Amino acid sequence: MITCEDFFAEFGDYLENQVSPEVRKELELHVSQCRACHVLYDSSCKTVKIVTESGSFKLPQSVSDPIIERVMTRLRTDRK
Amino acid sequence: MAARLQEGAISRVQKERISLSIAADRQDTYCVAVDSKVLSSLRVPDSQIDDLLNDHHHVGLSAPDLASLQFCLKLSRHARSVCSKDIEALRACGFEDESILEAVVMTALAVYRCTLSVGLGPEPDFGSRKIASTRFVPPREGAPHGLLPDNHEAARRKGPYVSAPYLSPKTFAPFAIVQKSHGFIPNFFRAQTLRPDLLEAELEAEGRILQPEDVLTRMQKECILLAVSAANLNSYCVAVHCNLLRGLGMPPEEGDQIAVDHHQSGLSEADRALLDFAVKLGTRASEFSREDIVKLQRFGFTEEQILECEVVTALNNFANTLQMGLGIEPDFQPPLVFQENKLYLPVAARRHSESGRVRSASDPLQDRDAGLVAEAQDGKLEAFEELVRRHTQLIYRTLTAILGNQVDAQDAMQDVLLAAFKHIGGFQGRSKFSTWLVSIARNTALQRLRRRKDVESLDEGGYGEDRDFRPRQVRAWEDNPEQRYSNLETRQLIEKGILELPVKYRVVVMLRDIEQLSTDEVARQLGLSVPTVKIRLLRGRLMLREWLSPHFTTSLRRAAQ
Repeated sequence: MITCEDFFAEFGDYLENQVSPEVRKELELHVSQCRACHVLYDSSCKTVKIVTESGSFKLPQSVSDPIIERVMTRLRTDRK
Repeated sequence: MAARLQEGAISRVQKERISLSIAADRQDTYCVAVDSKVLSSLRVPDSQIDDLLNDHHHVGLSAPDLASLQFCLKLSRHARSVCSKDIEALRACGFEDESILEAVVMTALAVYRCTLSVGLGPEPDFGSRKIASTRFVPPREGAPHGLLPDNHEAARRKGPYVSAPYLSPKTFAPFAIVQKSHGFIPNFFRAQTLRPDLLEAELEAEGRILQPEDVLTRMQKECILLAVSAANLNSYCVAVHCNLLRGLGMPPEEGDQIAVDHHQSGLSEADRALLDFAVKLGTRASEFSREDIVKLQRFGFTEEQILECEVVTALNNFANTLQMGLGIEPDFQPPLVFQENKLYLPVAARRHSESGRVRSASDPLQDRDAGLVAEAQDGKLEAFEELVRRHTQLIYRTLTAILGNQVDAQDAMQDVLLAAFKHIGGFQGRSKFSTWLVSIARNTALQRLRRRKDVESLDEGGYGEDRDFRPRQVRAWEDNPEQRYSNLETRQLIEKGILELPVKYRVVVMLRDIEQLSTDEVARQLGLSVPTVKIRLLRGRLMLREWLSPHFTTSLRRAAQ
């Protein structure tokens, strides 16, 4: 039976789905029996999901186009 | 040695038979003499020993004994061709996982001893025995026969082959040490947990060989392990040692170059000679001679350093054999230049196709930008503009992550694009084009930070730095947090939370979770080792979770209602 400490040591790889089947089985058993680790796992999965799906820090085309245009104009001018 | 002497899942006589057969197969007269003597002392008749040396089929072994001996010989000769079918065949003969693990360890140990015996060239302690001459000749580096698997399926079949119960670093102290030195516990060690006693002995030996810096440096030893693993076409060990070298501060491209062809690397001439020596000893033992030692001495290496190089090479062959025999799955991707589709090419062909330089990242199959990059390098501005448009978000997010605000990032965009155009002629395709662009964005942003005198290092800081963080929020989140606020509100909340993170976590979280690059790509783009990225990613995600928790916990919702 693994401890919360063990669970936390494997937690990063567990979130990334990069643990072996044997380790996964142990971690799943622990999550089903430990409320604190269940909350940690559940809320971390939700964090990753909403962050990944948020489309944050997207530079709008209305901002990027003028920047690219300015650069290209300068490069064309320098060439002449 | 403990593995060899103990009566374990397989008997001492079975182990010594494996050891002797492998030594004979490799024409190693020294090990043959020693192992024959040991078998004699275990009351194995001389006639049976002679039969083992000539043709083990005539020894009259039981079917299981014969099957295990043939498996071990296959693993020693053509490690890459071992697959799960071989393991199933052993199980069908009645072998349990522990016996299979012991057989693999015994084979790896025999390969270790033979490698070392070639390097040291000791005089036999006992009279030599006659070995059949039509035996195994170690394959030449990259030769298609010998190194090509029986079928390519072997490489794709999933391991690990034997069961591996979970061992906690809390209760199994050697794992706590591994966690500290590697930043994580590699699958290589996890796959051997069926025998913690053997694993402990192995880790202790490895630590004693690799950790001290007083003879060869750690960097030199890791380069030996990388070069010999690459010559053995062991992509698992190549990935591990590339990462360890990155952790020691070596740029990713340099590690890739050593894996493909160390002669083209930036190592000193002496260190390249050291790798020549190790690769020859590790993969072409039949060509090895006293002259190779003299050559190294001419470069100024001491006898102690040469001995250490031999021990490290032997250790590498031990590890390569064990990895193949247990079907250990990769911890992370091997470098682009060392992926499976290239692995079956003989080294000579790989060198020919790439002129020995690490170029495959710019191969059109590997980097979709390669065509446009070539046009832009010829001066086509339209091609450059297309490249820029493809990667606008990546550049912008990298700048935002380091500078910590979006206005500064927009301001710095122009500098990055101008610098990219100025230097594109010098881009050699040693990495993906996008990686190169990120490095320009990173340097531009860091320069600006320096001007603001607001510099926090992004470099490697050892694996212990971020381990002490513990989450404090333990209230459950509601079921569908994404429905709690509008899309715009959620995005603003996340952006605010991410900008609150310290820069080293922010960069990793943004590239992994917002830009959705793989962990390996993030490591490569930031010039960090994969374990460091994993540690920072977890810490960053957990800090973000703490920050977001008050907005998404169920108690909050109840209070709001």
